[in-house]
Parts: sequence; C-alpha cells; structure tokens
Amino acid sequence: MPSAHTKSPRAASRTPLIEVTKLSKVYVNDAVETPVLFDIDLRVQSGEFMAIMGPSGSGKSTLMHILGFLDRPTHGKYRFLGKDTAGRTDDELAIIRATKVSFVFQAFHLLPRATVLENVMLPLLYHPTIPSAERQHRAQAAINAVGLFERTNFLTSQLSGGQKQRTAIARSLVTEPQVIFADEPTGNLDSVSGIQVMGALEKLHASGHTIILVTHERSTAEFADRIVHILDGRIASDSRSHSRRSSSGLTSLK
Amino acid sequence: MRTFDVFLQAGRSLWRNIVRSALTMLGITIGVGAVILMSSVGESMELLILGQISSLGSRSMVIFPGNEQEGNVSQVLSGHDSLTFEDIERLERLTTVTSIAPIVFLPGSVEFGRETAAPQVLGVDPNFFSNQKIAAEEGRLIDREDEDRTARVAVLGPDAAADLFGDVSPLGREVTVGDRSLTVVGVTKPLGSQFFQNVDDRVYVPLSHARAVTGQKYANYITMLSTGSFDLAFTDVKALLRQRHSIDNPDDDPKKDDFIVRSSQQANVILSSVSLGLTLFITTVAAISLIVGGIGIMNIMLVTVSERTREIGLRKALGARTTDILLQFLLESVALTFIGGVIGALGGLTLAYLISRIVSGYLPTYTFAISAYALLAAAGMSLITGVVFGMSPACKAAQLDPVESLRYE
Repeated sequence: MPSAHTKSPRAASRTPLIEVTKLSKVYVNDAVETPVLFDIDLRVQSGEFMAIMGPSGSGKSTLMHILGFLDRPTHGKYRFLGKDTAGRTDDELAIIRATKVSFVFQAFHLLPRATVLENVMLPLLYHPTIPSAERQHRAQAAINAVGLFERTNFLTSQLSGGQKQRTAIARSLVTEPQVIFADEPTGNLDSVSGIQVMGALEKLHASGHTIILVTHERSTAEFADRIVHILDGRIASDSRSHSRRSSSGLTSLK
Repeated sequence: MRTFDVFLQAGRSLWRNIVRSALTMLGITIGVGAVILMSSVGESMELLILGQISSLGSRSMVIFPGNEQEGNVSQVLSGHDSLTFEDIERLERLTTVTSIAPIVFLPGSVEFGRETAAPQVLGVDPNFFSNQKIAAEEGRLIDREDEDRTARVAVLGPDAAADLFGDVSPLGREVTVGDRSLTVVGVTKPLGSQFFQNVDDRVYVPLSHARAVTGQKYANYITMLSTGSFDLAFTDVKALLRQRHSIDNPDDDPKKDDFIVRSSQQANVILSSVSLGLTLFITTVAAISLIVGGIGIMNIMLVTVSERTREIGLRKALGARTTDILLQFLLESVALTFIGGVIGALGGLTLAYLISRIVSGYLPTYTFAISAYALLAAAGMSLITGVVFGMSPACKAAQLDPVESLRYE
C-alpha cells in the first residue's frame, strides 16, 4: 500500500494514524440490507493530505463518517493511533470526536445568530481538558489563522460563503485535532471562495495537520497529495498525486 | 461539558430566540400569576374572616330566636319572641354558660341638634361588651350601675359618633334616641365588622332602658360565653330551652327548635371548610394552568428540536455526549418554565397588592397576604413542569443520530 511517507526510513516503524482492515458497512432499514462499503483496507499516516473521491452514492461519505467516529463499521477493524476502536461506547466516541478529530461540512453548519468567535469556541465546550479560561484565546488564534481576525465579532449571517467556511475551518482547528475531515468543503461555494478555502486547508497541511478531504470533484481532490477513489463501496484506486494543484498559482491566474 | 457551560448554552439558545422564548413562557407566566393572585386574595379573605371570628374568642356563643327551617340569622330582625326574659333568668342558673347578655333592639333614629343618623340602637347588658371584646376609646362603657338605675346614657360606635358629631368630642352631650334624651358617656374603639356587620355604626343604651321604652318581654338575641367546652354548654342550653318551650325533640332536629345556638368555634369550622374548598379550587386551577402551560412548552420544544436538528447533529459531531444534549434541552425548558413562573409570581403578587390597596379603602381590616407555601409551590411546580414537559423533547434531541441530523434539511 502506498504511503506518503515511504521515503522516510522510519516510516515503516511508525504507527499509522488510521488503519482500516476489511471494513464494511451495511445499513439495515426495515429488514432490507443495503451494503454500502465492502472490504475497505486503508492506512493514513499523520501529516497526510488525502482526498477520498467518488461519485455520489459511492460510499465515500459513509467511509468518512466511520473514520470520524460519527458512525460504526458493520465488520472489519478500525485502529486509530494504533488502538482498536471496536466496542467503544457512545460517550467514548464522543470524547474522541471532541479531542482527536474534527469536521468541515459542505453546508458549514454554523450556529445562526451567533458570532464567529462563539462558533469557533463551540467545540471547546465539549473538550474535557482544555480549561475554560483558555477558550477565547485559542478560538481567537484559530480565527486569526484563517484570516478572519476582523470578523471575530461578526454574526455568521453577516459573512460571505467563503468566510463562513473559513469560520468552520477555524472551528475545526481550535481543539488541535489529530485529523480534520473536510466533507465537500467547496460544494456550496463559488470557485474563487472555493480556492480560498482550499488555500486555507493547504496552509493547515503545510503546518503539519492531517487532512482527509471528501469530494466528487477532481479539481478539488487534486489539492491533496494522495487520492483514494471509491466506486460502488470499494477502493478502486489509491495514488499519489504528482501534479498537485496549489491555490497560490490559481488565485494569481484569476 | 461543565455545568456552567450547560447553563450558558441553554441561556444563549433561549436568548437567540428571545421572542419565541417569551411567548412560550407566557403560558406558565399567566398560569402561575393567576394562581399566586388567587391564593393571595384567598389568603387575605381568610384572614379577614377568621380575624372577625377570632376577635370574639373561642368561648363566644350566641342564641337567636327562630329556626333553621324558617331562615337564618335574619329572623333576628323580624322580631321573633321566643327568647323571653324568664328563659334568660333560667339560663343564668346554668353552670356551663356565663356572662349572659340579652340584646333588645330600639327602633328609631338618633339625633344631635340638626344632625340625624340611623345607626343600629342596641339595648345591651354590660356583659355584652366583654363578650364581644368591645372596648371604650373615650369615656366609659355602660356599666352595671347604669343598668340597675335605668340610666339615660348612651355609648356611641365611632362611625355613629362621627356621623353626629364630626370631629367634636361627643362626651357629655345629649343625643335624642326615639323621643328620649340620653347623655353620651363613651365612644367605642373602631372594630370594623364582626360577622359582616359594621359594629362601629351602633349606639348602645342600657338594656333596662330599651326594655322600658319598648315594653318588650323577649330578647332579640343573647350573647354569652361557655365556661368550659362549647359542646356541654350547647347541650345544656338546648335542653333548657326545649323544656321551657315544651319542644319534644329527641332526635336533636334543629328544624323543630324555636331558637338557634351558634358559636364562634362552629363558625370557625364552617369557614375552615370553605377555605379548604377554596384551596382545592385554587390547586385545581393551578394544576390545569400548569398542564396547559407545560403542553405549550413541550409543543414549542418539540418544534425547536426539529428546527435545531442540524445544530444537534453538529454539536454531536463536535463531541457533545448524549447527556450534554439532553441536559441542554432539559435546562432550556426548565429555564423557560422557571423564569416564566418567577415573572408570573411577581405579576400575581403585584396585582394582589394593588387589589389589597383598593379593597382596604372599603374594608380596613383587609390586608395583603401571601403564604410562603403558595410561593414555594409555584416555584416548585414551574420547575417540575419544565422537567416533565421538557423531558420528551430533550430525549428526542439527545437520541438523534449525528449523521442523519447533519443531513437534515
């Protein structure tokens, strides 16, 4: 299996961040079984920028939900930071979501009638160890990191689409998670805002964050180092992207 | 999630929808407000009534002529003649009653100079004043010597004194009662009303004088005190009067008697049951209004949960546990009912106070009152309403699946 870090001599001994073996997911609804994922084998190392690509209905979102602990696999093994995640209670999964992973959604999912700062502080409420006195400071740092310093006390309804998504990215940063899942982050944005948002994710990756991007658009997937294609619930291909796009080049073209 | 954060989150959510929150609270506010208002007014009424009775003391007894079938106390005014002075002489020999004070009404108006007033004129035995706890404000009351001498004296109630004399002291002045001239020797202390009769608008004259003027051989009513238990006195008085009036009444049927015996204790019992009825009524209204308000809360909370499905999904994705969501929604509902309850209680108290200010203009002994129980019950019930009716929406919210919720349109 190709890895972003095969070139490093220490890579082989490094514990993968995510290690999935023979994972499958079957939805049962009114006794009708709908298989969604089959025998998925996947390893993701810390620091990767990976895209999961596939048409709608391919199972890519389901895979992301399982990897992000919003859903559980039906069969197979999911090891996160070397630890098996089977048998975790709902509350244990909630704590993992609060501390280890975060999400950026296509529809932003910001609290309405709340400010940028309030939105970015929200995950810290559920974080078991970060003291409340640090919340505002951390949130402000995350807001500054996505370039929204001047919008800190704006209501989210006063923001443009791109600014909303950057608020969501700041929110995903604030708990310093092990991995950020971005589910079609540019899906609701025009192309300029989309490139800005991808630029923000690129910057995060450059500073060492692990990002797993889910998209059906090749142009968006190409920002990643590695593209995993999902088709009909199976991994169709897993390749390193050699012609990686960069937001800096594109924005200057516009 | 820390407790303080749960409060903060609930508070912020309510604040973001302040208009809806206010409208949702309104049901509880009106319910609790109405209950507090009613229980305060009920409490004031009870104090007013019980105050009138207890002012007489628990030993006080009254015998009226007439019987229960023919009517009630109003018989007194129609001049039944069953309580003769011979009966009274015999009553005085009973050991179970004491301080017997017959009353004879003296008809006619009372005049002073060109002023005329129409107070109730009572010919009373000196015992009457101690039986009814009536004291002198100025001068003195009618005493045994006045009675024995058939003295031409009068004691005025404060309202009667004010009607005839205004601010001038009436002591030593001559008033005309009927066609006799009497000297005012005293004015009684203001008492308001006893058993809903204004005792301040009265003129008292010696019983012997009233008997001499009217030639009446019977008393209009008799007040007395029981020496020990009221029940013994009651039995004794009934037996004596039945024997004297040749009434065969082994079944103790009050309809066969030609007299009615009442005590302040009896009245207490009756009024206590009235006040119990009032309490039950208020409690029923409270329960109904809180259920109605609670259903309103539940309804809005269910709508809120549907509307906020995506927010709930988001919170779960950000790491909220089931209990965090449950507590937040439960707390929102409890905060709504509690704040609504507090506003309602304050509103109810304010209204009850204003009412007491207005009513006390007419009934000086009416005072503002509220029992601590009513306030505690209102606070407790509004909290419980919040928990009971918030539970189902909060459970619904907490059990939402995060993936489904995030997709919810």
